[in-house]
Amino acid sequence: MSSKLEIAPGSSTAYHTGDWRTRQPVYQNKWPPCSQTCPASEDIQAWLALAAAQRWQAAWHKLTERNPFPATMGRICYHACESPCNRKHLDSAVNIHAMERYLGDRAIAQGWCHEVFDDTARSQRVAIVGAGPAGLSCAFQLVRRGYSVTLFDAQMVPGGTLHSAIPAYRLPRSILAGEIDAILALGVEFRPGTRVGKEISEGELRDQFDAIFLAIGTRRPREYPDKVTSHHSVMSGIGFLQSLNRGEPVKLPKQVAVVGGGNTAIDVARCVRRLGAEVTVICAQDPHGMQYRELGTEMPASSTEVSEAEAEGVHLRYRVGVSRLVRSGAHLSGVEIAHVDRVHDRYGHFNPNFFEGTEEFVPAGLVVFAIGQEADWQGLENLAQASEAEGVWVGGDAVSKSKLAATAVGDGYRAAMSIIASLKGEPFVFDAHKKTNITFRQMQLHYYPEEHRHEGELSKDRLAGFNEVVKGLPESDAQQEAKRCLSCGVCFECDNCWHFCPDAAVIKKEGGYRIDYDYCKGCGICAEECPCGHIDMESVV
Amino acid sequence: MDKRDPFRHNVLTSGHRACSGCGEAMAARMVTDLVGPDAIYVNATGCLQVFSSHNQQSAWQAPWVHSVFANAAAVASGVEAALRARGKETPVVVQAGDGGTFDIGLQCLSGMIERGHNVLFVCYDNEAYMNTGVQRSGSTPHAVRTSTSPPGLFSQGKQQLKKDVLSIMAAHHMPYAATATIAYFPDLKAKVEKAMGIRGPRFLQILSPCPLGWAHDSALSVTVARLAVETGLFPLVELEHGELTGVMRLAGQKPVDDYLRPQGRFKHLFTGKEGAVELRHIQALADARIRRYNLLEADTQWDTASALRCARHGRGGYVSSSLSVSQGVDNVL
Repeated sequence: MSSKLEIAPGSSTAYHTGDWRTRQPVYQNKWPPCSQTCPASEDIQAWLALAAAQRWQAAWHKLTERNPFPATMGRICYHACESPCNRKHLDSAVNIHAMERYLGDRAIAQGWCHEVFDDTARSQRVAIVGAGPAGLSCAFQLVRRGYSVTLFDAQMVPGGTLHSAIPAYRLPRSILAGEIDAILALGVEFRPGTRVGKEISEGELRDQFDAIFLAIGTRRPREYPDKVTSHHSVMSGIGFLQSLNRGEPVKLPKQVAVVGGGNTAIDVARCVRRLGAEVTVICAQDPHGMQYRELGTEMPASSTEVSEAEAEGVHLRYRVGVSRLVRSGAHLSGVEIAHVDRVHDRYGHFNPNFFEGTEEFVPAGLVVFAIGQEADWQGLENLAQASEAEGVWVGGDAVSKSKLAATAVGDGYRAAMSIIASLKGEPFVFDAHKKTNITFRQMQLHYYPEEHRHEGELSKDRLAGFNEVVKGLPESDAQQEAKRCLSCGVCFECDNCWHFCPDAAVIKKEGGYRIDYDYCKGCGICAEECPCGHIDMESVV
Repeated sequence: MDKRDPFRHNVLTSGHRACSGCGEAMAARMVTDLVGPDAIYVNATGCLQVFSSHNQQSAWQAPWVHSVFANAAAVASGVEAALRARGKETPVVVQAGDGGTFDIGLQCLSGMIERGHNVLFVCYDNEAYMNTGVQRSGSTPHAVRTSTSPPGLFSQGKQQLKKDVLSIMAAHHMPYAATATIAYFPDLKAKVEKAMGIRGPRFLQILSPCPLGWAHDSALSVTVARLAVETGLFPLVELEHGELTGVMRLAGQKPVDDYLRPQGRFKHLFTGKEGAVELRHIQALADARIRRYNLLEADTQWDTASALRCARHGRGGYVSSSLSVSQGVDNVL
């Protein structure tokens, strides 16, 4: 037989069909919408995948890379991550906050310790002013990278607003304390009761520390700019919550009015219900789902908080403002409310425009104004003016617009990374690699099974006291819920590209796939049929 | 031998000359990897034979025989009889296109089944003679544009219906005859494995979209095959000894427009009144098939939704070949 007629098995591989290609598939991890929305930029997909594999501790470590407060944030964060979840186009969003809480609770119950990246002690010292979520988050990131951190706070207990103003039915004290202790245990020096400008001067801070992070939060309530208010029977929302959290006895009249449409107003109202009084929330904005009404803006409070409050018997009045406090002598008998057309004038100043003839009387023995708080820069005037180049960073509620605890945590992380870069003399780049987004249109949702969302159980006897309202998920539910993650833009090894390649150009290997560009003809089937949108088609130049 | 992939044998490996996005290449790779390298493959003339054995190169990594267009089933009968005479149990698989099955190869196929040879006959159905330039075949569906059924003043593509070859096969009272597509790998796998567990003649018709002949984007081969099932135009059914023993239920019926629109071979139906009549005709054909096989209500193991489901870390690979990987491919061979 002539050698020319011998044809070896698989000899076609000598011919590289990859030459035909005009486009080529590329495996490309995306940054899913949950993480893009998360103010603390957690890699949610990554820790959910670890949780789905029941690698609970690894999941917790992954989560705490960005956020050392999973048990806390899982309870109080308004989970912006869940609203853009691509899963809502299939059934309903993944219950990310319940998963976060589950991991945090598990860490506290099992006493897990945070990872330390670098235990070579560095000589540089960092001062952090304010032991709230921003300050603690910054301290956590710095101390586990070997920097010595001193944390100053005017209060005796760390935690800032989390400790002083979040009601216990949303965040049990022991949970917060557990997570703060885990941070302080890494070796943060905490100086309670030390107010800058009083116990320690600005100059001393500058002299003793190489970098300063100001995270003083917002502790001063915004005053209601109405000349008729006197301080009798009138409280601020934050003042009310603080005195409640300090355990001071609160004596309430039968009926209370709360002014404001934010989460503080809802917190106050729900606390009032727990203390046994009737409460009406007077909100100048529109209810949820009405944001397209003329002039309308949606109320800023979280919609789940509002519906839970309504279920607890809180009355809500929308698009109304307090036009007058009604007194009989020193006694407050109620407030006069009226339809408010707009709250701020066109210069952005508070200047409500009430419509005449729409007035109503709301009886109330106490009116609580929960209309926002401001930072109190007293004693920090010079430092507040300094720039990052001068070694002063600012973050948290004091400067953020959203005033969310998760934003503060994210600010703390960002400041810590910026401080480290500055102390090392390196340029600071923040998460530049995480820009590629992914929407459900780039995904093939029919490849995912439908699976209902697991919710934490609501406790039945909610108004009896300040016990936690929502229970945590049991382990079986937590695992099921973690598996609901679509893994948007991140390969979960479903084998589709491998099965569907007509040219056997997708090679399966341990923990993933590889495209053999010698043979890939660029048909695009793998990208088209990838459930999670992990594969991009690029043109070949 | 090419052993790039540790999880699969790649009986039909890379370097073959199929068009980009070829559904038939995909189907053949799936089927042959499920059957495994320890089998004898007889290939009728057609696209698959042409693109896999080119220029003194072969993309096959298993014993493979090319027959002429008409007699693949007869060659396989002979191979099987010879193996039987030598006391061997090596599986014999025929691969043919729709031309080599519906039209030119039908006589030999019928004879092979009637004589009861222990052969699996796989028809990769791409609904026309693609290899020679998209001429109409007995498998070409109604109203399709091909180079020999061009739409124009007097016709809206092919005037006749697609030949119901499965019923012809089933009428032979054969042990197993089934339809499958490339879009539902778990279903295809189950059917190939079931067929390999049965003695006697077995027939598998696999819908394999052809981006060139069907004129759709090469990336849509799987999507189009899936839509053919989801609209009811291509029912996935199993027949044993002529009796309907399994269907894949439709999780929901999709309008045939969804299937027709991505394909250029149906483009003429979307302009003009005559086209609209044919669209209604095709929808009625889909409805009739759904009624005939009770596709919406059948009590089945899975439906078109659940058969698609992806799982983390795969949903079943090529069991036989992954076994041989762990034991070393050569030992098994």
